[in-house]
Amino acid sequence: MRKKKIIRAITIIGLFALLVIILVPLWWCVVLAFDRTALEVLPAPSILPHEFSLFNFQYAMEMIPLGRYYLNTIFITIVNTTIAVMTSLMCGYAFAKGNFILKNFWFIFILVVMMIPFESRMTPLFLQYRKWGMLDSYAPLILGNFAYAYGVFFARQNIMSIPDSLREAAYIDGSGEWRTFLKVIMPLSKPLIATLCILQVLQNWNSYLWPLIVISSRSKQLISVGVSLFSASQTTIYYGPRMAVALISALPLIIMFLFLQKNIVESVAVSGMKQ
Amino acid sequence: MNRIVNKSGSGIVNKSVLWRKIKKQLVWYSFIIATIACLLVLTYTPMLTTIKYSFYKISVLGYGETFIGLKNYTALLRSSGFNKSIVNTIILAALNLTVIPLGLILASLINGLGKTRAQSFYRIGFYLPNIITGVSVVLIFQIVLKADGGILNRFLSYLFQNEIKIGWLSDSSIAKLGASIISTWSGLGYAMLINLAGLQSIPREIYEASEVDGCNRIQKWLHITIPQMNTTFIFLVTTNLISSFSRFTDLYILGQNSASGRPGGSLQSILMYVYQFSFETPNYGVSSAGAIILVIIIFTVMVVNLKFTGFFKKGKE
Repeated sequence: MRKKKIIRAITIIGLFALLVIILVPLWWCVVLAFDRTALEVLPAPSILPHEFSLFNFQYAMEMIPLGRYYLNTIFITIVNTTIAVMTSLMCGYAFAKGNFILKNFWFIFILVVMMIPFESRMTPLFLQYRKWGMLDSYAPLILGNFAYAYGVFFARQNIMSIPDSLREAAYIDGSGEWRTFLKVIMPLSKPLIATLCILQVLQNWNSYLWPLIVISSRSKQLISVGVSLFSASQTTIYYGPRMAVALISALPLIIMFLFLQKNIVESVAVSGMKQ
Repeated sequence: MNRIVNKSGSGIVNKSVLWRKIKKQLVWYSFIIATIACLLVLTYTPMLTTIKYSFYKISVLGYGETFIGLKNYTALLRSSGFNKSIVNTIILAALNLTVIPLGLILASLINGLGKTRAQSFYRIGFYLPNIITGVSVVLIFQIVLKADGGILNRFLSYLFQNEIKIGWLSDSSIAKLGASIISTWSGLGYAMLINLAGLQSIPREIYEASEVDGCNRIQKWLHITIPQMNTTFIFLVTTNLISSFSRFTDLYILGQNSASGRPGGSLQSILMYVYQFSFETPNYGVSSAGAIILVIIIFTVMVVNLKFTGFFKKGKE
């Protein structure tokens, strides 16, 4: 027993040391972001800023329309998450409980997309939107979300496990499929909805390639692309402000993570295992 | 219910039954129609267009598209730039796989703590880097891995009592290693999490039986844990390879928003090559052929995975 306790203590301490090492880059980023001396010359690493100030953040906010990028990204994230989760639940319900012609065909039709990487259609999709005159608008960023193939697959798996007796009870009360879906299935699928929402938010906040291709006005850009365009256009690197920018763009997800840590970790683990 | 009504012969009833049936179909279709339409217009059409373009020579779109058969493919496979991007991608993918054994070791240590607060603390703590936005990760590591004054070089200098100035991200001969440090840092948490979930799904009875037989920790790990984790490993290797093969964002940002793969083309992935010929110097025929080759590579990885995990067998049941 004693030996076990010692091993446990060593593991805990060892893991803690490793965690500290892994988090050093993040901490250094925070320190530099608050350090007034971090400009063209990179200051020596320190545990606390050499000269504490909020200057870097002010500078960063002046240089990049971060507020604007925030709003754009939040807007897109909310719209896309809502559309993707709602439509995948609808399809999930139809494929789990429905009975209609070509059901299996359409299900495979959707699943196949999971296996075809986005890159295969990127260029013609761009040309298609150009033909429709939709470039540099949010349409290309939003429309594709009506088909969230993984979500459909995942929703179907989950909705299948809801007992049919609940649906039958709703029919006896005279409700149609849509009402059953909204009043019975949706409320029973809260964990499913939460998982899909989390996955969607992470995906949307980090999307890069597609917005880079379709959005050209600076004011419409999303945060990832906006920030990287800015940092690439700088000729001299101002370390402090740059770290302030890195921190600001990562902040919403970090905050979300701190609040929903357990849920996020569970969602990601589940989405990996249920393949 | 329908079956019973069907058998009654009256025409009026049949009509209303038919109408009811159609209505039922329409109701179900109303659930899926948006998704299907979206897939047809925004996925299948452009995908088929890519295949078509890959066989055409396209100078200006809409004017003079000529069918040239496989010439785009042969030209690509002969071009040193494309081959270099394939080699780059494969090396980066291989380096990136190290994250899986690292994640397994980490997960085993964390799992050894039992279902305690310490376990959930480490599970969440090690996952944190995964949540940091891609752009931020690159911005941070451009400084951490800086040749002159970066934390890693400072640490190495201290360790060897000698000034070390390795250009992790600026020296083209070593930049792949630098880029892999970045992807390992941000991917370790995910590998740990999936491995941990796999470890925790191994039935306890197997371990208990082995204890009766007098196995020690390491024997248990080698003879029970590793074989039992097979599906998890295959899943991780596949997802890892797929994302490595379509790697773009971090390498693009590292190259100062250019798809040329700076430094010195050593970080140009296949997707970056495709991007270059789609958006920087458009040649849609060539870029489409490149995209198709990329898809074939990714598809092969997927099929191999599905075969290993027995997906095809499950489908037949």
